[in-house]
Amino acid sequence: MRVEIMKRKTLNNYILYAAAIIVAIIFIYPLYILFMVSFSPTRYTLDELYPSQLPSHLSLTNFVSALTQYNFVSPMFKSLEVAFLVGIITLAVAIPAAYGLSKLNKRLANLIVVFLFMANLVPALIIAIPISVEFIKAGLFDSALALALAQSLFTMPLATFIILGAFRSIPKDIENQARVDGMGMIRTLYTLLVPLAKAGVAVAFLLSWLTSWDEFTFAVILSPLKPTLPVIVYLNITEGSLVQAAAFAAVISVPVIILTVVLQKYIKGVYLSGGLTG
Amino acid sequence: MTQKKIKLELKHITKKFGKNVILDDVNLKIYEGELFAILGPSGTGKSTLLKVIVGIEDPDSGSVIVDGKDITDLPPNKRNIAMVFQNYALYPNMNVFGNISFPLRLEGMKKSEIEKKVNDAAKLLGISEILRSSVNSISGGQKQRVALARALVRDPAMFLLDEPFSNLDARVRFTAREELKRLRDSLKSTFIYVTHDQRETSNITTRVGVLNNGTFQQIDSFNNLYETPKTKWVGDFIGNFPMGFMQKDKTHLIGFRPEWAVVGKGNMTAKLVTNEVSGNTNYWMCETKGGLMIVLVGNKLLKVGTTIHFRLKKYNLYENDKFVKQVKSK
Repeated sequence: MRVEIMKRKTLNNYILYAAAIIVAIIFIYPLYILFMVSFSPTRYTLDELYPSQLPSHLSLTNFVSALTQYNFVSPMFKSLEVAFLVGIITLAVAIPAAYGLSKLNKRLANLIVVFLFMANLVPALIIAIPISVEFIKAGLFDSALALALAQSLFTMPLATFIILGAFRSIPKDIENQARVDGMGMIRTLYTLLVPLAKAGVAVAFLLSWLTSWDEFTFAVILSPLKPTLPVIVYLNITEGSLVQAAAFAAVISVPVIILTVVLQKYIKGVYLSGGLTG
Repeated sequence: MTQKKIKLELKHITKKFGKNVILDDVNLKIYEGELFAILGPSGTGKSTLLKVIVGIEDPDSGSVIVDGKDITDLPPNKRNIAMVFQNYALYPNMNVFGNISFPLRLEGMKKSEIEKKVNDAAKLLGISEILRSSVNSISGGQKQRVALARALVRDPAMFLLDEPFSNLDARVRFTAREELKRLRDSLKSTFIYVTHDQRETSNITTRVGVLNNGTFQQIDSFNNLYETPKTKWVGDFIGNFPMGFMQKDKTHLIGFRPEWAVVGKGNMTAKLVTNEVSGNTNYWMCETKGGLMIVLVGNKLLKVGTTIHFRLKKYNLYENDKFVKQVKSK
């Protein structure tokens, strides 16, 4: 009997691994093609009817032509600037918001979190147009700050949710103790609770950063003249220079991949459950 | 206790959570230098009362007065009352030294002074050798000492402890009680602690407040609680065995402790239900004619159902479950 259970367990494991591999392939294959196209001359990839699936004749020519023909540096800095601004703005609002919510009755807090996600239910385009009208009036059009503010609309709910979960996992008495030991409320939040919830805060920052780094709809509407990297990729595709687009896309993907791998240990389900299970 | 200076006074404290009344018109006076225990079954608002005193919970009505000053509206950080939580609430991101020095660093005290205060506190509590350890690597008893050290470096007006012994294992618990008393004696400060276990109150306290249904049923020395419980409920609650009660007439009850009865002769009778051996003493759980359970000190194991005769050396008289007087017979 025991042997049978163990057999079933290993079988289950195999199925699990097989499923994981299939999912991984679905996600990795396009990336693989992207990198292959960007590192190979076109005659081996895009110009062929049935291009080889294996890389051959690797070269940097596409990167060289993409980076020399287009102004790459300023969109890159713009993207970085906006992404960091989004991360900072999001945390500046999400941390106190999550702290406030953690003080509320759990049911009410969860209901409010659901309402926070309302902004994410509406297509970005619908929000972007009225916002850009207002930003033009306010003289913020094409600025990094304006784009970051708009993108933060979408990153804030998730960040609040994640940080709320992290705060909820800290025992209440630790905070009470800090209050008794002589800390005021705001000081308790920033010098004790945030360091204790640092994993959740880091995840919230990174997800916000990554969301902004990839974001296109707001970027193309609010900042068309000084574009970010995703907008540059789009412009290249529409102009037909697919290879350069691939090269830029590869450049965009690299930090995302590095960050995801480095911070893998933090990106766990726990931080995404918003403390709903605890 | 000679000058009887009032350290803490609670006046008409009421606290509700939703519809639940947790504290219902609580009044209390605690004198300078007392080691006072708040005793009661779980869920009677003991911890809530401590939190009201320290300022983490606001009372719905009533006032908290320390050293003659009304502090009801002050936040916890302005009250100068130290509290040790049940799970000790050590800051996991700091080591032992960091935890103990934390309140001093908040005050902005000089580094050399902090060093001295922490070392003195650590010495007093016998934790000097673990000052650089992580709080996750020390034992429950050590955690408690760290929490106590963190409380006492501030020279607070008084100390509140929530179930200070419940997270310790039995052997350590016994010495921890004595240590608490020793600490009180050497600091000459006021200590209030909460417990649900009366064994943790009998030897070391100056007085005990028995809390039930959100209000103090009786505030007295443990000896008086045992000897002359003011209500039938307190008589039932205090003691290794509940106080035995027998109907005297319609409105009056006789209450007595097992050792107040002399078995063998006498005009009172009860039927044995079970023998209970505790240590080297044998107790008889008996049922009286009126159907009430009483406990007698027996001298041997007897067959269930035996009728036992006894008389009382002394007993308490209760009218409508309220204490009237103690009666001693010759």
